[in-house]
Amino acid sequence: MTIDMSQFYEVFFDEADELLAEAERLLLGIDMESPDDEELNAIFRAAHSIKGGAATFGFMDMTEITHVLENLLDKIRKHEMALTAEHVDAFLAAKDVLAMELNGHRNAAEVDQEQVADVKMVLKSLSDASGVVIAAHPVAVAPAPVAAPVPTALAKIEYSATAEVAQHEIPDGSSCFNIVMPEITERDVENLQEELGLLGLVVVSKQTNGRYVLSLTTDSSQADIVSICSFIVDADDLVITLASTATAVSPVVEVSVATTAPELAKTESKTESKATSGSGVEIHEEVGYGLFEEEGKEKVEEGYGFFAPFQPHPDAVVASLIGDDTVLTVANSGEPAVITAAAVEAATEAGSTAPGGVERRSPGRRESDKATSNTETSSIRVGVEKVDQLINLVGELVITQAMIEQRISHLDPVHHEALINSVGQLTRNTRDLQESVMSIRMMPMDFVFSRFPRMVRDLAAKLNKKVEFVTIGAATELDKGLIERIVDPLTHLVRNSVDHGIEIPANRRAAGKGEAGTLTLSAAHKGGSIVIEVTDDGAGLNRNKLLEKATKNGLAVSENMSDSEVFALIFAPGFSTAEVVTDVSGRGVGMDVVKRNITSMGGVVEIRSALGFGTTISIALPLTLAILDGMSVSLGKSIYVIPLNLIVETLQPRAEDIKTVTGEGRMVHVRGEYLPIIALHSLFNHATDITDPTKGVLVLIESDGKKSALFVDRLVGQQQVVIKSLETNFKKVPGISGATIMGDGGVALILDVSAIIQMGQNTNYLTGAPPFSNPNNQPLQNQRNA
Amino acid sequence: MSTDTATSNALKAKSAEGEYLTFVLGAEEYGLEILKVQEIRGYDAVTQIANTPDFIKGVVNLRGKIVPIVDLRIKFNLGKVEYNELTVVIILNLRGRVVGVVVDGVSDVIALKDEQIRDVPSLVTSIDTKYIVGLATLDERMLILVDIEQLMSSQEMALMDAVAA
Repeated sequence: MTIDMSQFYEVFFDEADELLAEAERLLLGIDMESPDDEELNAIFRAAHSIKGGAATFGFMDMTEITHVLENLLDKIRKHEMALTAEHVDAFLAAKDVLAMELNGHRNAAEVDQEQVADVKMVLKSLSDASGVVIAAHPVAVAPAPVAAPVPTALAKIEYSATAEVAQHEIPDGSSCFNIVMPEITERDVENLQEELGLLGLVVVSKQTNGRYVLSLTTDSSQADIVSICSFIVDADDLVITLASTATAVSPVVEVSVATTAPELAKTESKTESKATSGSGVEIHEEVGYGLFEEEGKEKVEEGYGFFAPFQPHPDAVVASLIGDDTVLTVANSGEPAVITAAAVEAATEAGSTAPGGVERRSPGRRESDKATSNTETSSIRVGVEKVDQLINLVGELVITQAMIEQRISHLDPVHHEALINSVGQLTRNTRDLQESVMSIRMMPMDFVFSRFPRMVRDLAAKLNKKVEFVTIGAATELDKGLIERIVDPLTHLVRNSVDHGIEIPANRRAAGKGEAGTLTLSAAHKGGSIVIEVTDDGAGLNRNKLLEKATKNGLAVSENMSDSEVFALIFAPGFSTAEVVTDVSGRGVGMDVVKRNITSMGGVVEIRSALGFGTTISIALPLTLAILDGMSVSLGKSIYVIPLNLIVETLQPRAEDIKTVTGEGRMVHVRGEYLPIIALHSLFNHATDITDPTKGVLVLIESDGKKSALFVDRLVGQQQVVIKSLETNFKKVPGISGATIMGDGGVALILDVSAIIQMGQNTNYLTGAPPFSNPNNQPLQNQRNA
Repeated sequence: MSTDTATSNALKAKSAEGEYLTFVLGAEEYGLEILKVQEIRGYDAVTQIANTPDFIKGVVNLRGKIVPIVDLRIKFNLGKVEYNELTVVIILNLRGRVVGVVVDGVSDVIALKDEQIRDVPSLVTSIDTKYIVGLATLDERMLILVDIEQLMSSQEMALMDAVAA
């Protein structure tokens, strides 16, 4: 029986994605002077997990990069070399390459092999450089804090190098491994037994101390066993020993080692080791995790704080090792290399009784390992369509519930008290259910924010600026659909802030500000919407410059426009005040797109700025795409819903405010502006009694910078509606963006405001005549239509 | 009884054997493949949609789904168009798209064999004969078997954006 690995690819891709993002976040947050061990470990772990996964699935290119990366990281985290900016850059580059390769495997995207080779070379050379340093100061290893004993940390894989080599050289030979499990449940053991059963014959036995020992006879390598076990238990907690090898082994050097650790002496450790230089690298890697030396107490003084990779070469001191093995040489040169091929019992005993050995593992690492595995088990991956279906069903439930409520409201409360109480309870339950279901789709803003530190860092470096990046409210939750769509506009705004907003250090100093600018990205809930703000403490928007530029571009502007109107000019297409066009920004393409994207999400953009003090661009978005804040209006017997964010105001016009051009094309005069009146009943051919605007209501709507007055019968009320697509069973209808179900079960149509304005223009302005009293409007219209 | 999916695409030449739901439009009796029917319900108030042909009555809320309603009587100029408690809407499920059809009434579900189904002679009617699978005789009455899926997805029904080939 074989396992079809490809079914796990997606899991690996997702996981690798997350790990890469995590690694990047940590790298950016790292303090160059005194890097936090914990963070270094976390980065190392991420690299290692990716390597493990990539190797399992056979993505050798990713394995290669992570391998080199890991070696370098290993040295740094063991304080064998100081972390420099150069390293961080190299790591980030490696992260990019990995992401590229990952994308290559996932989407069959193109991978720039040259870049891969470059990064690999840089990492290698950095890694090699470190070797020299270490050789010169072999004792200059900073002792890391020694942890308190971790009682259950039987954290080692003991095995004979012979066995490993034997497997590599004699692949068809079967070996018998004893695998000592950490404390796990019986079910996990059963699962493991089943999994390992795929490799060979498994015998399970339980030890007196409650641990399980699995004896596995297989022709697979230990790495395979570890990778299978790691689905269920932490690979570091495994103890795997080779009990016997079926086939004879080629050249074996037998070395007896007198270990100084009393605990280990009792176990009569005997070392079988083997000098095979060719397989050196391979072995170190496998051994590197979950292993610690058995040398005992003396090593504690020398202690690296973390388990040091295990060196199975007795002749390691003289062996000519390639770059990444240098550490191992150092680690072992002072002590004889020790390999225990002890019996399982002995190993268990040693693990639990030899605190010297156990102590050497960093507790931090273990804790965070646990934390990671906890978050893994506490979430599940579910397809979006399943969630959407759930949300739809709950939406229907809510409507049905509202109907029941309406029906029972006519009943006599005395006679039907029990029923009314039950329905009241149903109401509460449904509301709770709806809330929890909606929250499934919610994701923290961190998902978006986390990609900016890197971008800001790179941009700032490119532009020779100093930027401090701050995020506030990263835990604020937003609908997944919106999260995905907000990324692009936000990226644009952040780039703009770094490029145009924040000044170069010299200018900042001259302005009496600190050299480093601050860019703040914040998210917060305000009422029924989420407000995302990009704030910089840079130069601010120059009102006069904007007006000047607008005049030059032929936009209709006047000196007495309000600040916010002037600032809103930057959203006009083709508008850029940047003196120099850079590859970062300044082409004036984009801000209009940003505004359009945000409006299409039902959001509103607003700019606040003070010259010399900075700019804030504020985006208000609805919490979810599925729900719309709407104003319901009536027209004859029908109800229509207008998205609230597109309504400027509503008014009942006086007869003298209604003007016409050549007897048709009615307009309304509102505060100095002439707005075309679009009569919804004539646009939709809808019978109604009210055809005189003064008897009805005008709703001023604005979309894409165009305003119109929509004439409807009357306002019904403001409410949140659930958007339903018309196109699912029907087709797109001009002027209608969707439908919704009202409380009484009837259907109301949601108006497509921008289409209606367009339609209104086509019918009202057939003559093409501009509104007579505002000739300025003409160029403005052209500008915007262009 | 085998009502394979081939029936749905069946034109006159192909086998049209299967179970049919018969319904009345004016004085004529029609039949459509029973497997296309999702449910049958009464006529509720519909929400009119602007600028659509008059035979598209509008949309209704069918348990949370927005479903368009077509009145075949208007489309085919048959009978008096009135809506009362006897007016029936056949809800069809055509490849996942849900459409409601207003008819004067549904009568029966009958099984038809190939030999009971006759070809349609070339005629000039308001329904293109290519949407008619065949004619069947049932107790001296004539039953017009329509290929409802082809009909509903046709351009002239204006129900769908992209016409299913």
